[in-house]
Amino acid sequence: MLKVILRFANLVVLTLLVLSFFSFLLAYMFPGEPLANLTGVVRGNEQQLEALGQLYHLDNNFLVQYWYYLAELFDGNWGLSFSSGLPLASEIARTLPASIELSTYALILSMFIGLPLGFIAGLRHRKTTDYALLSLSVLGYSIPVFWLAMLMILGFCLQLGWFPLSGRLSLLYEVPRISGFILLDIMWSDLENKSAILIDALRHLILPTLSIAAFTTTIILRITRRSVIETMNSDYILAALARGLTPWQILFRHGIKNALMPILPLIALQFTTLLTNAMIVEVIFSWPGIGNWLIQAIYQRDYPAIRVGMLAVSTLVVLFTMSIDLLIRLVDPKKSKVERVAI
Amino acid sequence: MSRFKLYQEEFHPSPLQHTWLEFKENHLAVGGLCCFMFFLFIILLCPIFAPFDPLMQKTDAILIPPAWEANGGIVNVFGTDALGRDLLSRVMYGCRMTFGISIILVLVAMFVGVTLGAVAGMSRGVRSSVMNHILDSMMAIPTLLIAIIIIAILGTGLINSMWAIALALIPQFIHQTRDFVRQERKKEYVMAAKLDGATPFQLVTRSILPNMGEILVVQGALALSISILDISALGFLNLGAQAPSPELGTMLSEGIEVAYIAPWSIALPGGAIFLMMLSINLVGDGLRSALRSRLIH
Repeated sequence: MLKVILRFANLVVLTLLVLSFFSFLLAYMFPGEPLANLTGVVRGNEQQLEALGQLYHLDNNFLVQYWYYLAELFDGNWGLSFSSGLPLASEIARTLPASIELSTYALILSMFIGLPLGFIAGLRHRKTTDYALLSLSVLGYSIPVFWLAMLMILGFCLQLGWFPLSGRLSLLYEVPRISGFILLDIMWSDLENKSAILIDALRHLILPTLSIAAFTTTIILRITRRSVIETMNSDYILAALARGLTPWQILFRHGIKNALMPILPLIALQFTTLLTNAMIVEVIFSWPGIGNWLIQAIYQRDYPAIRVGMLAVSTLVVLFTMSIDLLIRLVDPKKSKVERVAI
Repeated sequence: MSRFKLYQEEFHPSPLQHTWLEFKENHLAVGGLCCFMFFLFIILLCPIFAPFDPLMQKTDAILIPPAWEANGGIVNVFGTDALGRDLLSRVMYGCRMTFGISIILVLVAMFVGVTLGAVAGMSRGVRSSVMNHILDSMMAIPTLLIAIIIIAILGTGLINSMWAIALALIPQFIHQTRDFVRQERKKEYVMAAKLDGATPFQLVTRSILPNMGEILVVQGALALSISILDISALGFLNLGAQAPSPELGTMLSEGIEVAYIAPWSIALPGGAIFLMMLSINLVGDGLRSALRSRLIH
């Protein structure tokens, strides 16, 4: 067990090193001065630039420079944004929680819908219900997420006027930022009209969450369905049936647990797809998350921001998937690694 | 000529026939295949069928509704957009651009991926282990994110986004090929070829790859739908194809500005992407389950 953990730690460190080296290289690959791309300081006076150059040891060779770049990264000194001039670390700290929040709610929502429907489809294998759900799910994962979001805006915001069009919160309210997760912040704050603010935040959340969740729900439905079919066809279910258990007893005593075990990690891995979909949807709904921020950075050629944003998102994704991987390996040592999603 | 069975002959279809027989049972998948053929037909013949030039602007015919609405005209069947361009022609050329480019990208990615995957699958030792680990962590990062990063480096534009998507699609082909080659390398028929003196190159090209065709088609369908989604998403975010070119995602983002008064200008291009994705996914699903049930029997 210790060996497994050590191997994973090794792998994580290696991957993160590769990623950070890549982000360091980006400073050279982007147009413009490497120093400006590393620090975000464009219009400094000469002494300032010289001091910064010494900080990053730009006159030494590549590896030395990388070493000092890493040191600066660990110090939390990630450079400044070209467009806003603010430190990037605080910008990331502001935008990343918003994206994680959106993706988490979407994941929870799609699990609540996808898992039960997947069970129903799997239990009714090759019957009308199964075919209907399966066809619905093909519809769900064929629909491009940005088109769905636009249709929702067109229908629910412009035609019916049920939900607000953009942003996280109505401009009337101001919630002090503690964690960056809007719902938690509202709960923790001591404003007098808390429930009104909460309802407003929820109304802003509904459309983005739904449009992201549509894709993931269908994927979860299909994964669950396949797993349920495989579980219910196995020998121990037959044995339980022969022992005289009713179908419901079999489902609750043996079916659910055994069907869920192999797919929970697969579902957790959907988080990364969710994050990319969230990045697109954020742009449409002007959600102040990392995707919106990163894409604005590309429009404005804000190279330090792209460098750090890419590092932050890929680190998050890699850390997340690897820890899920590790967890599975620890819980179930027989499994060598997570299989790719089979739907 | 009618053939009636005198004897209880057994019919042994070849693997390919068997897959087709299974596939044919699934009516939805066959419908998807027809739709897929329809799109192929359009992208090949759109210069003949498109009524107008997709870039031609008619200033006296701005935002005409489609023909099925009360004040629409039959000249522009799908109506026109904010610059008076015929939407039907634009959607047809858009299909050509989005779908056609995706097919090319998938073929390129498949070629590169299968080559690298075969090398990775045949090699052993530390080098292959390092390569595999890096590959596995690459697989975890979604393609669109990789594409966005690459575009951030190269700059926006259609050609750059094509590079980005092709690069982002390669890892899954490598992965699939590598696993397949590993698994087949242990089997007897490969061993037999090896005993006949086949070099590793001959082993891969003559013995292993011919067995991989169907898996590649399924994987290719998956990659095709990913690549269509990514190309149109990048076009939609203004990172891929740029404004006047008839790319479906770009058309969608142009349509946003007039979405309220001209909902058809986002409904039709989006619907085209949706139908394309739907047909590809249906065919992919059908093939997958046909393969699965063939392997069971």
